[in-house]
Amino acid sequence: MTEEKPRIGVFVCHCGLNIAGVIDVKDLTDYARSLPDVFFAKDNRYTCADPGQDEIRKAIKENKLNRVVVAACSPRMHEPTFRKTCAEADLNPFFFEMANIREFSSWCHPSTPEEATEKAKEIVRMAVAKARLLQPLKEIEVPVTNKALVIGGGIAGINSALDLAEMGFKVYLLEKTESIGGHMAQLDKTFPTLDCSICIEGPKMVDVGRHSNIEIISYADLISVSGYVGNFKVKIKKKPRYIIADNCTGCGECRDVCPIEYPNEWDVNMGVRKAISVPFEQAVPLVYSINLDHCIECYKCVDSCGARQAINFDQEPEEIELDVGAIIVATGFDIYMPYDDPLYGYGKYDNVITALEFERLILAAGPTGGKVIRASDGKKPHSVAFIQCVGSRNLKKYEYCSGFCCMYALKNAILLKEKYKEDVEVYVLYMDMRTPFKGYEEFYRRARDLGVTFIRGRASHIIEDSQTKNLNIRAEDMTLGQPIELPAEMVVLCTAAVPKTDAGDLARILSISRDANGFFMESHPKLKPIDTPVDGIFVAGACQAPKDIPYSVSQGSGAAARAATILSKDKWKIEPIVAEVTPELCRNTRVKCGICADRCPYGSIEAIENQPAKVVTAMCHGCGTCVAECPADAIIQKHFTDEQIFAQIEEALKKNPEGKILGLLCNWCCYAGADLAGTSRFEYPPLIRPIRVMCSGRVDRDFVLEAFRRGAGMVMIGACHLPYDCHYISGNLRMKARMDALAPMLEKLGLSPHRFRVEYVSAAEGLKYAELMKEMAEKLDELGPEKIKAENAKLKPILDRMLAKKRPQKAQSSK
Amino acid sequence: MTAPEKNAKTTPKPTRFLLFLGCAIPYRVSSYEISTRKVLQQLGIELVEMPEYNCCGLPIDPVNHSMTLTLAARNLCLAEQQGLSIIALCPGCAGTLRKVNKKLKENKELKEEINGYLKATGLEFKGTIEAKHVLQLLVEDVGLEKIKASVKTPLTRLKVSEHAGCHVTRPADSVDFENPEDPQALKDLVEATGAEYVEYVDKLACCGAPIAGVNDRIPLQLTKEKLTHIRNAGAHAMVTVCPFCHMMFDTNQPRIERLFNETLRIPVLHYPQLLGLAMGFSPEELALKALRVDATQIVSRISGKEDAS
Ligand SMILES: Cc1cc2nc3c(=O)[nH]c(=O)nc-3n(C[C@H](O)[C@H](O)[C@H](O)COP(=O)(O)OP(=O)(O)OC[C@H]3O[C@@H](n4cnc5c(N)ncnc54)[C@H](O)[C@@H]3O)c2cc1C
Ligand code: SF4
Ligand code: SF4
Repeated sequence: MTEEKPRIGVFVCHCGLNIAGVIDVKDLTDYARSLPDVFFAKDNRYTCADPGQDEIRKAIKENKLNRVVVAACSPRMHEPTFRKTCAEADLNPFFFEMANIREFSSWCHPSTPEEATEKAKEIVRMAVAKARLLQPLKEIEVPVTNKALVIGGGIAGINSALDLAEMGFKVYLLEKTESIGGHMAQLDKTFPTLDCSICIEGPKMVDVGRHSNIEIISYADLISVSGYVGNFKVKIKKKPRYIIADNCTGCGECRDVCPIEYPNEWDVNMGVRKAISVPFEQAVPLVYSINLDHCIECYKCVDSCGARQAINFDQEPEEIELDVGAIIVATGFDIYMPYDDPLYGYGKYDNVITALEFERLILAAGPTGGKVIRASDGKKPHSVAFIQCVGSRNLKKYEYCSGFCCMYALKNAILLKEKYKEDVEVYVLYMDMRTPFKGYEEFYRRARDLGVTFIRGRASHIIEDSQTKNLNIRAEDMTLGQPIELPAEMVVLCTAAVPKTDAGDLARILSISRDANGFFMESHPKLKPIDTPVDGIFVAGACQAPKDIPYSVSQGSGAAARAATILSKDKWKIEPIVAEVTPELCRNTRVKCGICADRCPYGSIEAIENQPAKVVTAMCHGCGTCVAECPADAIIQKHFTDEQIFAQIEEALKKNPEGKILGLLCNWCCYAGADLAGTSRFEYPPLIRPIRVMCSGRVDRDFVLEAFRRGAGMVMIGACHLPYDCHYISGNLRMKARMDALAPMLEKLGLSPHRFRVEYVSAAEGLKYAELMKEMAEKLDELGPEKIKAENAKLKPILDRMLAKKRPQKAQSSK
Repeated sequence: MTAPEKNAKTTPKPTRFLLFLGCAIPYRVSSYEISTRKVLQQLGIELVEMPEYNCCGLPIDPVNHSMTLTLAARNLCLAEQQGLSIIALCPGCAGTLRKVNKKLKENKELKEEINGYLKATGLEFKGTIEAKHVLQLLVEDVGLEKIKASVKTPLTRLKVSEHAGCHVTRPADSVDFENPEDPQALKDLVEATGAEYVEYVDKLACCGAPIAGVNDRIPLQLTKEKLTHIRNAGAHAMVTVCPFCHMMFDTNQPRIERLFNETLRIPVLHYPQLLGLAMGFSPEELALKALRVDATQIVSRISGKEDAS
């Protein structure tokens, strides 16, 4: 830490006429020079251009500057540029601060140049005040373990594993069941080209099994994950197969002698398997298992295995520990079993089945040898109706569209028609037929050409004829605008794809979040669709939302590429704008607190009883929520300290405070929205004095109180929209909870309600920001300075008292 | 306030209720009322009269919603004054009282508005009691076990279907009783008498009553279809718990037979009549005579004296 006196250099940019066309740049530069601790000030035509940067580097050297302020565009634009410039002149890049006088002044106040210049001066003064208190920071580096864990061996996980292995990384592929393959291994053909599913997936499964860089850990559960990006510690529990994998050759002689059969879950319980068996012929790894729930322990298998000695009835569960640098979650989906739907009679009527059951029926290698037959009489149905959206797109069940059921219904309709031709009538009852993507609409046409009857309308219920076991579907034909009755000898329910039952447990173990439907949540729906909020953990396939095979495969490869950006490095760099607990101030040593640990959106704080809380730096994303939540002010956020923000508040409100709005804007949404208002040249009254924080979660109650104590006319917190827009998962929600408690208290103390505002503005809402500024200016005008002063005078002694604890160490910074 | 009601959920279940009769029952299906009084008394439920009640409010709803709310609220207020919850035999009444009770309890502004209308009568809605249909009373407050225990002659020789009707369960979120698409209560209650429960096609379809004022043939056609399904399913009788359903299935049955030239002859009992028979009450005590379709056959079937049927 440098204790030398600040020597600040201020560089004011003309930006051609973008700034200089409105703001009196000379006046501003002179003003900057007059500020305490400023040893150098100069204006440039283009500060970001090479000559401009040169000048900064030169001035640092020649004038021994130890802080640099550039008054120009938004830090969201050029902060990284100028940080680099400083670094090149051997000045720590975090000794740099930016004053945004273009987006925040010249561009949005062109018709009031004097006020724009005045606002620019105050913005510069605020920046200088912060610069004075800046501390040097070092980029944090953590080592990286160059191995990956892929959880789930469906087609998505298989692709992730193969890609990473091909790039040369060691991959552990964890699969819960006995074999990899996932749902794809259960399917008959695949749309839209009708290749045989296992014929195209089987070779990939074999590749996985053979690859020297891949280790399959099957029939095993994830127990725990700790650590952080590049350095995860994973605990896995292998369930006993009662077979010594290394000795098992997969010959199947044991199965031939085993006398016991039980329903094969992998076959959707339509076929049977032996008590010692593999779920299906192409299983990878091809290692047998014994199901002790069914085994009668006759030991015939032991005899038949003979000298290979692969059977061990005493096998115990085994726990293993792995170190990996990145994790890909590819655990897929379940299908909704509509037992709870009384209207369609699933589970009650023999000939009403799910689509997955149908896949097993029509599959040549399936339990019926590919014959589509009815459970009631073993006969081939002469009419089959597919009912779409069972459970999906239903506000009482699953709100979302399951995505691939329209397509697989078309597939199965085509397969039926091609197989039985005129001998079968095929109906599809649908709400909307969803066939985007390559080759899908053509596939739909193919079904129509083959004579499949499409009826638009929702089936209301199904009635079974108790004698024939035929079904009668009641539905509305929306095209005819009439209720219809459709007789069918078999009904196939295309049920919703739903999150895995254990998705909640997995989310907890991995500290990742789930969306409202229960699928894993991506970090950003558009720009980070494969990342999770936890660095180093990625998602692929249907576990994030229902996805068909091509989409799952692409995402599997995408996740591999994302993971490789970490695995390919020896060290992983972390932005040093993180939180840090001052142990002496933390009260967790005395009383059970842990508020910070509870509120951190990333679970990156450990608060062990009787010990000071500790931020796991590599996991901290630097939102600052914990800093604002800590009741003992024991946590600081580097580069956004309380002192720095208090100093900015003080400077912002030095002159005519009652005529001003103090803004605390989050970097990703409201600050960006304000930038956009400038870029779009929306003009609004120049009353706001904005302070940038990374997340609205950082906004301490005390910032608001301090602003009013200093006489602010209004205080506005600008955040990302609720509930999901927050860049830090839930910082905005924390801020809201905090401010929901503060607002009534302030009102009780006599503050007019409009004077304290929490506003949600997205990065795209420049217009909204400008409108907001106008509306707030009107309110401020309505209230009038006298009323505001009176309210503030009444508040001041109370706020003085509330902030007394804080001020002596923190706000006294400037003279 | 009304302490015994407030604790209804935790402490012993209440056994005193106000009987809300509504409009149709006293005039047109008194056998429902008579039999209900008999069986409830046997089950230890005391019914308190409610002479000054008014219309439940339902019929006027399409014309004036506030009026419906106010009418229902007045009935609820009268019950609040006595500190007793309401039992209605008509599902329309029960549903309306339940719905309005719920709405006013949940919506403060609405409550204030309705209390404004009620002011002239000196009443104020407070939200201290419940209202429910007799079916709900039987399964929730009396309980199937107690009902089974009250059965003296289990009706094991009888096959019975039912039509529970729409208002008992719908609209589901305000009535808040059973899944309208898969109701169980009446089925359980039929089985509690020892009778064999008979499922039939389209059990949940409409009885036709709501359309009766608008069109003659369609509702009777609907009723006929249901009766035909019930006959085809092999039931000896059916039960209802609604005066309007009952009028469709029983009162109109001869008319249906004439109109469609069919012979149906399916006795339609009010559920309490069926239960009453199982409890050992005589057909007279249960006003079985008041039914339009002769029910003597099933009485003889129960007592084992039936001739070939
Ligand atoms: C009836 C039906 C027909 C379909 N037909 C087609 C088609 O023709 N064409 C097409 O493109 N798509 C089709 N689909 C969709 C296809 O099934 C999916 O796109 C695909 O299965 C998604 O792959 P996945 O790897 O994401 O998930 P899954 O296939 O579900 O695989 C997930 C894997 O992860 C494992 N797993 C789960 N939880 C854990 C855990 N906690 N730990 C370890 N492992 C775990 C599972 O055991 C499984 O092996 C169909 C779907 C259905 C239901
Ligand atoms: S894909 Fe088709 S059937 Fe499936 S939920 Fe969406 S619309 Fe319904
Ligand atoms: S709350 Fe935010 S700043 Fe604090 S430890 Fe968690 S991620 Fe870091």
